[in-house]
Amino acid sequence: MLSLASPLAAAARLPREARDTLFLLAVIGWIVLLQTGHIPLWCSLMAAGVLAWRTVLTLRGAPLPGWVWRVGLLLLAIAATALTHRTLVGRDAGVTLIVVLLALKTLELRARRDAFVVFFLGFFTLLTHFFYSQSLLTAAGILVALMGLLTALVNAHMPVGRPSLWQAARVAGGMALLGAPIMLALFLLFPRMAPLWGLPADENSGRSGLSNEMRVGQIAQLVLDDRIAMRVRFEGPPPPANRLYFRGPVLSDFNGVEWKPLNSDFPRSLGLSPDLRVSGEPVRYEVTLEPNDKPWVLLLDAAVAAPEVPGTQARMTPELQWVTRRAIGSLVRYRAESYLDFRHGPDRPVLGLQDYLQLPGGFNPRTHELAVTLRREHGAGPDAAPALVQAALDRLRTGGYRYTLEPGVYGQHTADEFWFDRREGFCEHIASAFVVLMRAMDIPARIVTGYQGGEMNGVDGYWTVRQRDAHAWAEVWLQGQGWVRVDPTGAVAPGRIGSLQRLSAPEGAVAGAIRTLNPTLVAQLRATWEAINNRWNQWVLNYTQGEQLNLLRALGFDEPDWADLAYTLIGLVVLASGLGALWNLWERQRQDPWLRLLDQARLRLHRAGFALPARATPRALATAVQQQCTDQAKDIALWLLDLEAQRYAKEPSADLRRLRAAFKQLHWPKRPSP
Amino acid sequence: MNTAVYPERRAAPPRRRGLLAPLRDRANRWFLNRVPASDTVQLTHRNVYILPTRAGWMLALTLVVLLVASINYQLNLGYLLTFLLAGCAVVGMHVCHGNLRGLSLHLDPPEPVHAGQAVRIDLRLTNTRRTARHGIGLAVRPAHGQPPALAWVDVPAQGEAALQVTWGAPGRGRHALPALIAQTLFPLGTFRVWTVWRTASTVLVYPTPEDTPPPLPVGEAQAGESGPLRTQAVGEFEGVRAYRRGDPMKAVVWKKAAQAFASGRDELVSRDASVAQRQTLWLDHAACGHTGLEARLSRLTAWVLVADRLDLVYGLRLPGREIAPDQGPVHKARCLEALALC
Repeated sequence: MLSLASPLAAAARLPREARDTLFLLAVIGWIVLLQTGHIPLWCSLMAAGVLAWRTVLTLRGAPLPGWVWRVGLLLLAIAATALTHRTLVGRDAGVTLIVVLLALKTLELRARRDAFVVFFLGFFTLLTHFFYSQSLLTAAGILVALMGLLTALVNAHMPVGRPSLWQAARVAGGMALLGAPIMLALFLLFPRMAPLWGLPADENSGRSGLSNEMRVGQIAQLVLDDRIAMRVRFEGPPPPANRLYFRGPVLSDFNGVEWKPLNSDFPRSLGLSPDLRVSGEPVRYEVTLEPNDKPWVLLLDAAVAAPEVPGTQARMTPELQWVTRRAIGSLVRYRAESYLDFRHGPDRPVLGLQDYLQLPGGFNPRTHELAVTLRREHGAGPDAAPALVQAALDRLRTGGYRYTLEPGVYGQHTADEFWFDRREGFCEHIASAFVVLMRAMDIPARIVTGYQGGEMNGVDGYWTVRQRDAHAWAEVWLQGQGWVRVDPTGAVAPGRIGSLQRLSAPEGAVAGAIRTLNPTLVAQLRATWEAINNRWNQWVLNYTQGEQLNLLRALGFDEPDWADLAYTLIGLVVLASGLGALWNLWERQRQDPWLRLLDQARLRLHRAGFALPARATPRALATAVQQQCTDQAKDIALWLLDLEAQRYAKEPSADLRRLRAAFKQLHWPKRPSP
Repeated sequence: MNTAVYPERRAAPPRRRGLLAPLRDRANRWFLNRVPASDTVQLTHRNVYILPTRAGWMLALTLVVLLVASINYQLNLGYLLTFLLAGCAVVGMHVCHGNLRGLSLHLDPPEPVHAGQAVRIDLRLTNTRRTARHGIGLAVRPAHGQPPALAWVDVPAQGEAALQVTWGAPGRGRHALPALIAQTLFPLGTFRVWTVWRTASTVLVYPTPEDTPPPLPVGEAQAGESGPLRTQAVGEFEGVRAYRRGDPMKAVVWKKAAQAFASGRDELVSRDASVAQRQTLWLDHAACGHTGLEARLSRLTAWVLVADRLDLVYGLRLPGREIAPDQGPVHKARCLEALALC
C-alpha cells in the first residue's frame, strides 16, 4: 500500500529546482481542477496531460520539448476551441483558451519572465471561476489556489539554499493577512459602476430553473434539483405557505406538446391590460434571487410597485409578471411589497380573451368530449363557468387521480392520457390537462409557472425557496371576477400546496446513512450550511452601490454619492500614509539598546567636556577618555571596554542589565584635566 | 524551471553610447559623489531606493485587467480577488523595502592582489531585526545598462551573514574600491529595492609577475668587504637559487624541496656556489634586462616573489626609491607596494 509519507519523503530528496517546479505544477493542477465542469472535457484532459507530462520531465530531469510541440498543441487547442464554442472571442471560449495557455506555458518555464507569465495567467484564470460560481466553496477553493501561487512566487524570490515551502507559505500568508484590511477597504469603498461596455451574449449557459416554455416533464426534472432559487426575508411574520405563489412566466400558447408565452394575432391595442386592483395590507419582504439567466424578477402575487432591482429597472407585463431588461446573471437583492388579496384582468369579456381559448386541432379528442359532457351537466355560458371549474376540480379530487414524480412518458394526447388513462402526473400535467379542459369548455384559461411555498431556515430565519418548489398552476377568467387562480394540483394532492410535504428525490448513500443515525442531524446541518451561505450572499455577493451608500450614511454623510466614496477612499489612503510616516519616525528613533547605551555614555562624556571622535567605537572612546583624563576616568574606560566585550562576545552573554547598573554607578568627572 | 535563481535576461550587447551618454555619466558621478563613502553603512529610508520591476508593471496590468473584468461581469468575488492581490502587492512593496532597510553592511579592507587577479571583497551583513532577511544580493555596481552579477545571501534574524564579491581591478596601483550595490526582490519580485554603497577602502594591486622570469641576478659585494671573499668562497656552500635544468642532483637542497612539496609547490632549489653569502641580492630596475617600465616592474615583482620564497635577503631599487635589503613578509609587502605604486 502506498503511504502518504513516502511521496513526501521523496519530495524532500528532490533537488530544489525540481521541487519548486512540482509545487507550481500542483498549484496549476488545482486551478485547472477547479475549472473542470466549466470547460469542455477535452480541455481538462489536455491540461491534465500536459501537466502530467511536465511532471514526468521534471522528475527525470529531461529537457523540455521544443517549440514545435508547443506550437502544435496550441494550434490544436485553438482548433478544438473554435469547434466547441463556434467562436474564439466569447467568454466561454476565452476561459477554455486561457486554461490551455496556462497548461502549455508550463512547458516553457525557462526564465524568470516565463515564470511570471504563469503566475499572472494563473491569477487571471482564478477570476474566470467567478463567471460560473461565486459560492462560499468556490471562494475557499480560489483562496487555496491564490495562496499556492503567492507561495510559489515568494519561494522563487528566496534564491539562497533550500528554504522550506512552509517558510514561503508563511511569508505569503502574512502578506495576505496584512493585505486583507486593504482589500476590505477597497471592497467597501471602491465605487461600483455599471459594466464599461456590452458583454458577449453567451450567458444563458445551461442553468436549470424555470423556463419560458413548458414541455410536459420539465418541471418534474426540477424537482430533483435541491438548489436554492431565492431567499425571502419577510418583515413581520411570513404569510401562510399556501398563499405564497411567486409568479414566473405565464404560458398561454399551446401547440399540443409545449406551452409557450402568448404570441397574439391581435394588435397590441386589443391586448389585455393588467387592471390590477389590490386590497388589504401589503406584505413587505426582501428577496435575494439566485442568478437565473432570465430577465425575470420573481415576486409574490401581486405587486403594484416596481421593486428596485440594482443595475436595472423592472416592469410589469400585462400578465402581471415582473421582468427586467437584462437577464439576472448574478445574485440580486430587491425589496418589494405584495398584496395577497387582489383582482386583475378585465371584468367583462373583451376580444383579447379569445387568445386564451385557442386549442390546436387534432389533439385530445376525448377531453373535448369530456367538456361537452360537463357542459351538458352544468350548463354553458359565462354564468356556468364557476360551476364548470368546480366540476373539473371535483373530478380531480374524487376521480382517483394521483400526484407522482414518475408519471412515465406521455404520448401525443397528453390531456386525454391524464384525464382517462394514466390518471397520475405532476403539477405540470395536471395544470396542462386542466387548462385544456377549461378552454375546451370555452372558459379562458392559462398556465402560470413560478414557485410555490418554500420553507423557513430555522438558523437564520430566511424563507428559502428551492428549484424543487417550482410549480405550475392555472388561471381561469370568470366574468365579473377577472383572472382567478386555480391550483388543480391542490385538488389532486392537497398536501402539495402549503404544507411542507413534498415528493423527495432518492437521496445519496451518505445522507441516507446519516439520516438513519440521526434523523434531524441532516436537516440541521443543511440549515446551518445554508444559513452560512446566505450570510455570504447577503454580505459579500450582494454588496452593491446601494449598500455602499448605506455605509456612507452610517458614517455620517448626509446625501452620499460616488464622489464621497472616492473622498473616503482617498482619506483612508492619506491616513494610512500618515500612520506609515509616524511608524517610520518611531522606527528611526528606536535603536539598538547597545547603541543607545553607548550614546548615553557619549552624551555624558560630551557634557563633561571631553573631545570625542565622531562615530567612535567603545574602544576608541575609551582610548580618548584615558588620554584626556588619566586618573578619574579609568572606571569609565573599563566600562566602555566591558560594553565592547559584551557586545561582540561570541556567545551572546548580553548582560545589558548589569551594564546599565554599572553605568549608573559610574562617577563622571566634572571637567577633564587640561 | 530554475526558480531558485532565475537567469537574468540575456545580457544585452553593450548599449551604444548615445548622445546622452556624457550627460548620464555626469549624473552618475554627481549622484555617487553625494553618497558619503564609508566602510560601514546603515541602510535607512534615506539611502534605500525602490522602483517597480518589469514584473511589477506586469502585475499592475494584470490587476487592471482583473478589475475591468470584475466591473464588466459585476463579480463581487472578482473585486475581492483583485483587491486582495492588490493588498498583497502593496504589502509586498513594504516588505521588500523593509527587507533592505535597517540592514547594516560592513566591509573588511581587501587583501592586495596582483593585476589580473580578481579582488575579493569580504562583506558582512548585520541584521538586528527579529525576522530573517531573505534574498539579498550584492554586487559591484555595473556600468550603466548592464545587469549586475549578484551574489545572494540570507541574513538570519538578529545575526550576521558573510559574503564575498569579486572585482576585476583595472591595473596596478592603489585603487579606491568600486561602489557596491545591495538589492533585493523579495518577496514578490514586483519591486526592486536597492542601495548604492560607496566604500572608503582602497585596494593595492601589485604588478603582474612575469610568467617565466630569468634566474635571480647575481648579488653585489657588500660595502667594505670586497673581492677576496669571493675567491675564498668558491666551491663552498654559499647560497641557493631556483633549480635549473642540468644542476647536479647533489646540488639540490632536499630539505627545502620537502617543505615546498608540503605546501603544494613543486619547485626545487639548488645550492648556488656562485653567489657569495656575504653578497647582497639587489633587485634593480635598471639592471633587470627589460626596457619598458611595466615589463621591468613585472620582472621585479616575479623576482621579489622568488626571493621571498627562497628566504633570501634582498633589496629593491626603483627609480627614486631604494628599499634596504631585508627579508620576511613585511619586507615583501613593502617591496610589492613600492612596485605597485611606482
